[in-house]
Amino acid sequence: MRTQRLCCLVLGVLFLFTACAGQDAQTDIAEENKTSFFAMDTYVTLTAYGKDSREALSLAQGKMEALERLWSVTDENSEIYRVNHSGGTAVEVSDETAALLHFALGMADKTGGALEPTIYPVLTAWGFTTGEQRIPTEKEIEGLLAAVGYDRVKTEGNMVLLEQGMMLDLGAVGKGYAGDLAAEVLRNHNITSALLDIGGNIQAIGAKPDGTPWRLGLRDPFSGGTIGILQVTDAAVVTSGNYEKFFVGQDGETYGHLIDPASGRPAKSGLASVTVIAKEGRICDALSTALFIMGADKAVEYWNDNMDFEMILITDEGEIFVTEGIADSFIVDDAHSDMSVHMVGR
Amino acid sequence: MKKKNICLAGFCAALFLFGAAGSLAVWFRPHGSWVNVMQDGMVLYSFDLSSTPDQTIDIEYNGSINTIQIKDGRIRVLSAECPDKTCVHMGWLESGALPVVCLPNRLVIGFAERESVDAVVK
Repeated sequence: MRTQRLCCLVLGVLFLFTACAGQDAQTDIAEENKTSFFAMDTYVTLTAYGKDSREALSLAQGKMEALERLWSVTDENSEIYRVNHSGGTAVEVSDETAALLHFALGMADKTGGALEPTIYPVLTAWGFTTGEQRIPTEKEIEGLLAAVGYDRVKTEGNMVLLEQGMMLDLGAVGKGYAGDLAAEVLRNHNITSALLDIGGNIQAIGAKPDGTPWRLGLRDPFSGGTIGILQVTDAAVVTSGNYEKFFVGQDGETYGHLIDPASGRPAKSGLASVTVIAKEGRICDALSTALFIMGADKAVEYWNDNMDFEMILITDEGEIFVTEGIADSFIVDDAHSDMSVHMVGR
Repeated sequence: MKKKNICLAGFCAALFLFGAAGSLAVWFRPHGSWVNVMQDGMVLYSFDLSSTPDQTIDIEYNGSINTIQIKDGRIRVLSAECPDKTCVHMGWLESGALPVVCLPNRLVIGFAERESVDAVVK
């Protein structure tokens, strides 16, 4: 009798082993669906969980593709293209484009022009939009900066008036904004767990299906790997840096694609990357660019004055500054344990 | 009766060990070394990096060529005729969550399995 009881116990433990192994093989209680596609000038992967996730993802993809058609700078049929080639006459745009433009202009104002939605002609002169990178002359930059200035863009409702020669490029906020709207589509379809990877701009809906936070690798700006893990729930995370889009000029200097609107030259603020964590992707997208251009001191000052985001700054010297609200959720990889990490408090 | 019990216990012990070994194998199985090279969503090549010999492959898209290099069990875009060369700057494929992407030539190189992170912010 004792032996039989023992056998029952052994079989019970065996069942638990099998159940645990099975859970690893299919973590999920919820159905996972995933879609990858090119949009917003990047590679997008959307993952969602739940029984309606396949249909919801299809609608979210459709939304992003529709927004790209509205906001592309190069597509002759886009609304932004029409505004840029209006010859100084007012153009009516859709509600989505008007909202994006008002947001971008508002953030430009709030960041003192560090975010500059009209910098496109300067960016083009450096060849970052054409692929023919070069170093423009000071005189050329000076001439182009005369056509830069967010405060000269006139809007009234859905009407936009751009001076002749000026150009709008909402790329610095477009991916984040599109991510917010795609997430809204998913939420409207009762998706409570999803991860939107818009070319490295991350938008997390809820937590993972097992209730644990999403684990995001933070790109190491000095090599190809990651520098640490950031755990988030229901948040957007965006990083800006010059480590992918850059060129080495004939003078041997490295020139990055994030242009300082004050000088018209690639920003050299002492930062290698800026990661912003907030509820909305649009805020993350706008601020990661603007804070990169501001540099560490002004970025910390801005963070102190605004309570709606957290950030991780990595300097050119390899120091990491993490704001207090996210410090507990960020773990530096063992391979980077020699880097000094500083917590930034209010 | 006693002999029968011993047989039953032996059978259960064998079953237990077999189950435990199987479970541990699932838990600790190594990450896959398979990578997919895709263009416009279509898989062009699948490689097991642990066994693929060193080589370079040219992949053409609308007259523009990306040269893929496999060396010492790693893969990267060695050179590209695309305008921005972002894919070359990305270096070796390191993480399942961060594929090497060439936007102009619609090329994506990624691990076939996910790793310990859900995505990489970049």
